[in-house]
Amino acid sequence: MACAPQDADPEEAGDDSPKHGGCRTAWLAPSQNFGYAAPDMIRVRDLTKTFRPPGTMRDLLRGRLFGEPHLALGELSLDVASGEILCVMGPNGAGKSTLLRMLAGLLVPSSGEAEVAGYDVRRAGALMRRDVSLVVGDERSFHWPLTGRENLMFFAALHGLSQAQARIRVAEMLGRVGLDEVADRRFQEYSRGAKQRLAIARGLLGHPRVLLLDEPTLGLDPRGAQDLRHFLRDHIKGGAGRAAVLGSNDPGEVRAIADRVLFLDRGRIRGESRPDQIGSFLGIADA
Amino acid sequence: MPDTESANFANVMVAPTPRDPSYSMWFGRIFLATVRREIAEVGRYRMAVLVRLLTLALGAISFYFLSQFVGVAPNHHLERYGSSYLAFGIVGLVAMDLQHVGVSVFSQRVRMAQVMGYLEAQLASPAPAWLVLAGSPVYDFGVAGLRSVAYLAGASFIFQVRFGHMQLASVLLVSLLVLLAFVGLGLLTGAGTLLARRANPVAAVLGGLSLFLSGVVYPVSVLPSWLQSIARLLPLTHALEALRRALLQGASPRELAPSLLALGLFAAILAPAGFGLFAYGLYRARIDGSLTHY
Repeated sequence: MACAPQDADPEEAGDDSPKHGGCRTAWLAPSQNFGYAAPDMIRVRDLTKTFRPPGTMRDLLRGRLFGEPHLALGELSLDVASGEILCVMGPNGAGKSTLLRMLAGLLVPSSGEAEVAGYDVRRAGALMRRDVSLVVGDERSFHWPLTGRENLMFFAALHGLSQAQARIRVAEMLGRVGLDEVADRRFQEYSRGAKQRLAIARGLLGHPRVLLLDEPTLGLDPRGAQDLRHFLRDHIKGGAGRAAVLGSNDPGEVRAIADRVLFLDRGRIRGESRPDQIGSFLGIADA
Repeated sequence: MPDTESANFANVMVAPTPRDPSYSMWFGRIFLATVRREIAEVGRYRMAVLVRLLTLALGAISFYFLSQFVGVAPNHHLERYGSSYLAFGIVGLVAMDLQHVGVSVFSQRVRMAQVMGYLEAQLASPAPAWLVLAGSPVYDFGVAGLRSVAYLAGASFIFQVRFGHMQLASVLLVSLLVLLAFVGLGLLTGAGTLLARRANPVAAVLGGLSLFLSGVVYPVSVLPSWLQSIARLLPLTHALEALRRALLQGASPRELAPSLLALGLFAAILAPAGFGLFAYGLYRARIDGSLTHY
């Protein structure tokens, strides 16, 4: 399935279009470009998200309830095959987090279609959220006075696990992300890397088929980041019918983990490349 | 597309798989996890809990001394409720507390989840939103219920307040209607918090109005007739009238018909409106991307 070009209007890109050595990557299907013939786990067509912020006093005086609309994502199309890890790169505000949240069903698209693991994201229900997991390293998403284990036990209940099942699964996940020794310390005492690991453990509690990760190794030490990348690759490649989309701005991470890289800027796809060729896109030397 | 909320409901309710517990079991697990979480948090803020308990005890004791003060003279305003000011006041305190919890709990929990940032993470879990969002308020209602029982038991055993005439069927019926009306109000204020992302003043305003007009510390009959008319627009006025007469005078549901009818009307309007607006608030949050905003 071919991805449609997103930057059809060259004027819109203007002078701010990313410098990528004249390489406007050909829009080829994953199966043609990277050898993925497996069925798509994620299929996105013309996905658009426009936010309408609440009106300021000036807007209200003009009789408008909302401010100027802000395009966060514009007519984006992409496919992710089974077993594939897609990285999305782009500057702050490019739309990476918005894309991941829409794929997780936490944001309703303004227009367009998206199917993740066979589910329509507009109707994101319990079944979809069982198969699709969003991992955000937001420290605010945990209960700070509780221990790491207590936090995961609570989220395990949200996954419908009994206490006995939860205890086993939580211990398994804590061990998997290397937190078993600090599992009974309060979350507020965790280092940034430990918080990030706990977020990943939470994302994996329910055996998801599609993982959506927003800067998953942010704050991890190099060894921890490497472990996590290996773990994620093993997890995605080791099981049938799994895929991941990763928002990241770390070239090392992208090279280490991705099968394919997508470049977003101001809500639109500006290009696509192999991980070993991102240097030309980013204007840095390829390793 | 295989997934809709109704399809989920059918799948989970009709044919649960080992991975999908029934809704009741799922809610039970979330509720127990919430209780464990709250107890763990309470254990880490012991001083705050002690201060709260002390405040409640002081409230009850002050009613005792107030009753010593006003109880010596016969008061025809209290005849309708058994003539004991302490019993009158304790029931007022209990109902006021229940109203405060009912009206503020959804708003407070939503606000806390917005500010602390775990609302999005919890809603990203497989549990349906209403299961996620109901766990904490049900815990709060449970605690408020236990607190009410403790107040009444304390009044009975320590201050010898007699509830011997209590009509249980009436009490249960009144409690159900009061719960529905207060939950409806609570959901409306919770929806306001979801939509506006601001702490909601409704609970404070309603609390102040109710304390003034609903007969919490004095009977409504002492108010001028025009204020009594306004008082009838508040659900707590009818809740207090029915609860006091059921608890202290053993009034049957038939005798409480006017109050029950008024409470039923409040419940019939507020509960569906609250559920509807809260669902809309959640939907808007998914459109605005405001689940993590604060």
